[in-house]
Amino acid sequence: MTAKIAVLAPRVADQIAAGEVVERPASVVKELVENALDAGAGAIRVAIENGGRTLIRVSDDGDGMGREDAELALARHATSKIRDPADLIGVATFGFRGEALPAIASVARFELETSPDGRAGTRIGVVGGKRDAVADVVRQRGTTVTVRALFFNTPARRKFLRAQATETRAVVEVLTVLALTRPDVAFTLTSDDRSLIDVPPAAGQLERVRALWGAGLADTLLPVAHCEGPLEVRGFAQRPAQARPAGRKGYVFVRGRPIRDPFILRAGEAGYRSTIAPGDRPSLILFLDLPGDAVDVNVHPAKLEVRFREKFFVEQVVEEAVRRALGPLAAAAPLGVGGLGPGIGGAWADVGAVAPGGPPGELFPREPLTPDTRPPAPLLQVFDTYLLFQTDSGVAIVDQHSAHERVLYETVMRQLSGDGAPAQRLLLPLTVEFTPPELDAIETQRELLRRVGYEIEPFSGRTVVVHTAPNPHPRFDAARCLQELVADLAGGRFGGWANRLERFAATFACRAAIKAGQRLELEEMRELVGRLLTATLPAHDVHGRPTIVQLPKEELERRFGRS
Amino acid sequence: MKFTITREQLQEGLGAVAAAIPAKTTLPVLANVLLEATKQGIRLSGTDLDIAVSTTVPAEVDAEGAVTLPAKKLVDIARELPAGPVRFAAAGEARVSIECGRSKFKLLGLPREEFPSFPAVKFDGAWKAAAGVVHKLVGHVAFAASTEESRPILNGVLWELRPDRMRMVATNGHRLAKMDVPAKGGSTADLIVPPKALEQIRRLFAAEDAIEVAKSDNHIGFRAGGTLVFSRLIEGPYPNYEQVIPRENDKAATVDKAAMAAALRRMSVVASDQTHRIRLAFAGGAVKFSVQTPDLGEAQDELPVTYEGEPLEIGFNAMYLLEILKYMPTDEVRLTFKAPERASTVEPVGWNDPASYMALVMPLRLVD
Repeated sequence: MTAKIAVLAPRVADQIAAGEVVERPASVVKELVENALDAGAGAIRVAIENGGRTLIRVSDDGDGMGREDAELALARHATSKIRDPADLIGVATFGFRGEALPAIASVARFELETSPDGRAGTRIGVVGGKRDAVADVVRQRGTTVTVRALFFNTPARRKFLRAQATETRAVVEVLTVLALTRPDVAFTLTSDDRSLIDVPPAAGQLERVRALWGAGLADTLLPVAHCEGPLEVRGFAQRPAQARPAGRKGYVFVRGRPIRDPFILRAGEAGYRSTIAPGDRPSLILFLDLPGDAVDVNVHPAKLEVRFREKFFVEQVVEEAVRRALGPLAAAAPLGVGGLGPGIGGAWADVGAVAPGGPPGELFPREPLTPDTRPPAPLLQVFDTYLLFQTDSGVAIVDQHSAHERVLYETVMRQLSGDGAPAQRLLLPLTVEFTPPELDAIETQRELLRRVGYEIEPFSGRTVVVHTAPNPHPRFDAARCLQELVADLAGGRFGGWANRLERFAATFACRAAIKAGQRLELEEMRELVGRLLTATLPAHDVHGRPTIVQLPKEELERRFGRS
Repeated sequence: MKFTITREQLQEGLGAVAAAIPAKTTLPVLANVLLEATKQGIRLSGTDLDIAVSTTVPAEVDAEGAVTLPAKKLVDIARELPAGPVRFAAAGEARVSIECGRSKFKLLGLPREEFPSFPAVKFDGAWKAAAGVVHKLVGHVAFAASTEESRPILNGVLWELRPDRMRMVATNGHRLAKMDVPAKGGSTADLIVPPKALEQIRRLFAAEDAIEVAKSDNHIGFRAGGTLVFSRLIEGPYPNYEQVIPRENDKAATVDKAAMAAALRRMSVVASDQTHRIRLAFAGGAVKFSVQTPDLGEAQDELPVTYEGEPLEIGFNAMYLLEILKYMPTDEVRLTFKAPERASTVEPVGWNDPASYMALVMPLRLVD
């Protein structure tokens, strides 16, 4: 009887490995470009044809290899990047498994040209995993890998390739991500001789972002820089007022390695809580740095996933990092965004265009509005709705309703999660009439209503009696606020809010806040602005609208020809 | 129009009406004072459409006539003029020359036709009240009226006239003040009067004056000497306040007003700016004050009191208590309570006055 079990021939094993590592042209590009980066390349050129089916060529000006190395490189588990198991922990290079080249070579017509010194070079051809020829070439220092006829010997895999445009897009995406991680390296991508990416070496990530996606995105980004324990989070978060429901960029890098982690992105979005409208998806580009032993990158063949030792801690720090980025007044919407008046984008771009490693203190050296700063004396109300005052960097315009909403929201959240608000007992209890769905809403939210200060009892029919009412400000109209609050709760106006407490707080804050069109005394304005500036997220109201719009001083100077 | 008036008479007349003239207005003529020269003298009038004040001062009138002049400018001129007779003379359409000694002015006014006419309140059958009594009522009650716009009725002071008494009540829904004074042969009426109008009466009428009070459908008029005050009335009905005045408060504390106010002021320093919530604990012979404000800190204080009843802890808006104490006419006050969620009363102790006075304040919910 013949044995049922046999050890697979290396070629078969390579093809299986290829199934994990090489699933489409984009994965080939990724492996090859990562190799190039690991080889210390300063410029990487990628060319593809027919979405990568016909040709993928990756050339770099990196270290290159001698002949012996080049031949070994094509053997499975041959790598220059690690030596023993201990190196796996905290591995700093992109690759390390030593699988990529043989895997790719096993499913394509493969050619490697390399030279370590720009004089003697080696060319090795491999077809479907079988070494073809080894020859001398003359070439510059660096390595060029050419992959033709990908999957020519694995028809099943070839059949699953998508349309040419789709595959091309995947390649662009892969290269974009890599270009983000290494702003110091120049990248070009041509597809069928058409240039798709061409970015020069950049001084920082923001410059790279601008080169990749244009100023339209770069100018809406706020720097993120937060460090807690071993974890450092840097990168960019989009200004809430500029977040849109579609077209967002969400990238997470761990130790410089791009990963797919919906949880981290979600944690970042959680940092936006209460500053954006439900459904808006802010762009986030986050670089996480933590010691090698706190994260395991060797859990996915293409290294798209990593495993954190303390996942919740990481998510929590990411959320906090994003939240802090939104805190400063700079997170307020600048004037003229959308139209992007000339100069405005520039003024803000300068703010962010520092080396991404810089601490936030350097970005806003004159951060004028610390919690104990009282708003400066000239405080002007216009249209009975907006408050204007001067900051160190320009003129701030505050929407009084939005601002008050934000202030109340934070107070109410404390009250709802704490022991409740002080409530004034009413000498003359209010009787208010409601519709049946509203009465249901009152019934289900009774406890929350009580905590903000409304003690309500059914009276008769559709009428309820209100025994106590909150008193958040002197112009508060308890009956009207209650009616509107209950109508909102019943109508599900804030249905997009996941958290019931937050939804309630937002609704209450919206309804209890002073309205637009309300003339305010100077003292009231001062109090409002003062409290706004000590709020955790002063620049955004609970609907995702801005509370503060800034008119930068530079813009004024530009318009008056003073610059 | 032509008349001569002493500087002092002019200043007196302007002083009476100027306070009724709004500083900022959308209707330009309201910033003016109406001058009418008649046989009786010069009548000066000003209004902000809610309240109108008019007063007559003696003058030598050579020719009758009327004009309106900017009140602020006229007041400033009257103040700066040298002592001596001031001669007013019409100098063309809505233009007036003012001369005093060698000083000469020409002021542009507006024709009197633009000035709003005063409410038609007839003083036949008016009832009389001693100004001193009205002052006392207003002075102790009007403060409690509401300034919020949500319940206009509470922005007024209820003035109840009965054959045997006069009463004023004001509340903002959280606290209330009420005063009764005995009266003889009065009539019966319930009026809801804006506190602003009552303030004018306090300002314009001397305590010994007898004020004539009359009403039309929606206005009220006051008259004493040559001075008239008119005001819009707030339409009722006023809430049934009798029903909320507690009758069964079984706990009572007698405290020294000044000491209590001082302790409250100390506590307010640490109380929240919005709610001014403080906690009072009555037991035995003492009341303990305490306040805790998150993010700020806490404070305690203690006062001896004469307290009868079960121990009680109750929360208040310190500002409401302080305000009530301020208006209490005696050195000692008596507070009564039923329960932490029921109304408390404050009354003067040993007030040697025919009037009876009480204030009421609703507690704040305490959270433990």
